[in-house]
Amino acid sequence: MEALRYSDFSLGLHQKMLDQRFPLQGTIEVTHRCPMKCVHCYNNLPIRDQEAQREELTVEEHCRILDEIVKAGCLWLLYTGGEIFSREDFLEIYTHGKRKGLLITLFTNGILITPKIANYLKEWPPFSIEVTLYGYTQKTYESITGLPGSYERCLTGIRLLMERGLPLKLKTVVLTLNHHEIWKIKQFVEEELGLEFMFDAMVNPRLNGARTPLEVRLRPEEIVELDRLDPRRMAEWRRFSEKFTGPVHSSRHGDRLYQCGGGTRAFSISPDGGLTVCALSPANAFNLRKSSFQEGWEEFFSKIREKKVTRRTKCISCEIKAMCGMCPANGTLENKDPEGPVDFLCQVAHLRARALGLSIKPHGACEYCKD
Amino acid sequence: MNDLKKCFLKESDFATRSILGETIIVPIKGGVGDLNSIYVLNELGTQIWELIDGKSSINRMIEEICKAYDVGPEEAEKDTIEFLNSLEKGGLIYRRKE
Repeated sequence: MEALRYSDFSLGLHQKMLDQRFPLQGTIEVTHRCPMKCVHCYNNLPIRDQEAQREELTVEEHCRILDEIVKAGCLWLLYTGGEIFSREDFLEIYTHGKRKGLLITLFTNGILITPKIANYLKEWPPFSIEVTLYGYTQKTYESITGLPGSYERCLTGIRLLMERGLPLKLKTVVLTLNHHEIWKIKQFVEEELGLEFMFDAMVNPRLNGARTPLEVRLRPEEIVELDRLDPRRMAEWRRFSEKFTGPVHSSRHGDRLYQCGGGTRAFSISPDGGLTVCALSPANAFNLRKSSFQEGWEEFFSKIREKKVTRRTKCISCEIKAMCGMCPANGTLENKDPEGPVDFLCQVAHLRARALGLSIKPHGACEYCKD
Repeated sequence: MNDLKKCFLKESDFATRSILGETIIVPIKGGVGDLNSIYVLNELGTQIWELIDGKSSINRMIEEICKAYDVGPEEAEKDTIEFLNSLEKGGLIYRRKE
């Protein structure tokens, strides 16, 4: 018997997959409800939203879907929201997934974590827990969350998880409101708490089309400046660019609209049981209340993955597109056009490539290629 | 583990998964196994794992391995006992009481 580290096992399994479609990793949003009102959030609804609550899958429906995804081969599962602990029955759902042998990651804001929940998680440990810490100070944190007292509650939740030795990582999303505190947050997490810390600055419009989150989004040059100021982050981007950027060859699937892992090795399920390629692509979901996951994976996703691009945009032959967040979901959210280049993402990718010293070959009418 | 009539049972705090042809054993509760690792079984290990049901003796496992792999009883006994030892040491199985 061989005991492998998860990372080695994961690498081996992904290499084994090659070109085959296999639902190895899933995301389930158990609810969009959340006690906080974060200014940048793309999907949050009030915690007492009764209509949203009524539409959520029941525990029994969740368990049936978990049985189906496990049967199909899913191993890594992410539970996210909204806030997962807004559902008082979340741990029932979670435990069913654990018993089935899923490796479960939990995304939470931490403010609803009680000693009872933390004890339960110690008994049934997740693969990983990620808590978002929005600020170093209460003022900054709560200017984002809109909930008085949430800063202290978040720190209490973090302490409860840490005291039990749970596999905790902290992260933040950098916005105009907490930009000035990012390095203090990082220092606090890494040096005072001794935990791993990650940050991201990508913000989307809301799933309902509202563009309010973009009001607190950093400018492209500010985002790339964050990379420049963090040597580890810069080194990661360099490694990534060496591996994934370069001439675009016409591959067998080069004309396909979807180039990501959604529908080939990953899937997402919305609170009401809609199966989609990712959480940012909620339109035209496959209804898991009426049909099985297997049908959705095999028939519905096959059709989506067969979709081809309808026109040659500047993205098609862009050699740095692997470094860009442009995808049908982002195109739809920002431009209501799955193929329409997202100006903001294009700017970030070009600035980042320049910061890394990459040369960018002309690829159509791209205004950001000009010096 | 010299008594070949011994039978074993699986601990309930592990889940067995078969993914892309790999049999893996996942610890599901705290305090069991190494939660940072995943146990991966080879073909021989998978076959023995499937025979761990509290009823199949080590002798029976050896017979099955001899049949499946065209190996002699001595080699099969060595492999089977070695594998069962590693499972027992990892806390994945326990001996059934007489």
